[in-house]
Amino acid sequence: MVVLLAALAGAQVVAAQLGGAPDQPIGFTHLTHATTLQIDCTFCHRNVTKGSTASVPAVQQCMFCHAVVTGQTPLTQQEIAKVRDAFQNQLPIDWVRVHRVPDHVRFIHEAHYTGLRARNPGISTQNLCATCHGDVASTIKVGQVRQLRMGDCVACHRANNAPTDCTTCHK
Amino acid sequence: MAEERKWGMVVDIDRCTGCQACVIACQTENNILMSSEDIVQQKRAMVWIRIERYWEGEYPNIKARFIPVLCQHCENAPCEPVCPVYATYHNNEGLNVQVYNRCVGTRYCANNCPYHARVFNYWERHTAAPHMQVYPADARAAEPMNEYLNPDVTVRTKGLMEKCTFCLQRIRRVSRQATVEGRAIADGEVQPACVQSCPTGALVFGDLRDARSQVSKLAGDQRAYHLLEDLGTRPAVTYLKKVDPNARATSPSH
Repeated sequence: MVVLLAALAGAQVVAAQLGGAPDQPIGFTHLTHATTLQIDCTFCHRNVTKGSTASVPAVQQCMFCHAVVTGQTPLTQQEIAKVRDAFQNQLPIDWVRVHRVPDHVRFIHEAHYTGLRARNPGISTQNLCATCHGDVASTIKVGQVRQLRMGDCVACHRANNAPTDCTTCHK
Repeated sequence: MAEERKWGMVVDIDRCTGCQACVIACQTENNILMSSEDIVQQKRAMVWIRIERYWEGEYPNIKARFIPVLCQHCENAPCEPVCPVYATYHNNEGLNVQVYNRCVGTRYCANNCPYHARVFNYWERHTAAPHMQVYPADARAAEPMNEYLNPDVTVRTKGLMEKCTFCLQRIRRVSRQATVEGRAIADGEVQPACVQSCPTGALVFGDLRDARSQVSKLAGDQRAYHLLEDLGTRPAVTYLKKVDPNARATSPSH
């Protein structure tokens, strides 16, 4: 774990070169949700254990809590109001996409989630996701921390004894 | 990964009516560029499976016969050793794989393929400077044909060799599903687009290593033969054709 964190700390420097963390339409913080409140990543990103996309939660899912939780400071109240307004007006939230692999890559979140779980018994979901996404749980704005280029993928596949046949990822 | 499967196909020519449903299904499934009339006239049409027509008998007792020809996924593929960049290789499931990202378009493989199964893409899709698109998925075909593209298959650009993949994306989808459910892939569960669309069931796809699969049984049929068998390419596609023992021998010049 120490090695992993050290590697990620190194990767954080690269993040700026990878575009850094874009501004999002709502000041959502993973720090509050994942670290302070200890909500499991898969509670919101539901499809991550089932399919290829991790999925950004529907606004309705935010309302599971935010129908009641309105925020304690003026700033949080202002941001949470945006979510409630979006839900009431039936408008989607235009989140800015952070991670994207090219069109010729077939990436399946479920396979990586399952595979990493099997190889690291007892790993927390946050640490599992951090393998590629970095320490999202303690960030305010999410940015890309790993190259996610082919060399990066293949190195990890080799290290974890995952298949390296071209057709595994290339479609 | 251990060598668990060897995908193969059986084409029953006696059942083929030459309806071309497989050609259209393949084109739709695999984002193959639609060949317009002028493209066909230049003999640069894009097809991964084609129907070859031939005649049997003499007029007036003449019959039209059809052979669907696709990549034979040869065990001893002549296309593979000639690629200078290793863009085509044999994977552990018996598939002859074309890696588009590696292909530099030398076309040696197509020259060496005795089945004319490989097609070179001379054509650019009608996009605004497609080579400038980092993610061509966003603007890869002209309206309204951008809607028909299959997201599971890459949209190839100009200058690449293409060929039948046995609908690799479908194989992958089914095998992942089977892994998740902790079971083996059932016989007939994987169906390439051509097999699925064949109205007479002339095409059968499956695992040749599984002796109980339908494709294995048919491949051992009395009528079985391989295209250009004497070349020793050992194709994964087996053809079935009944030869009439009472038929008059056709002249050698035929």
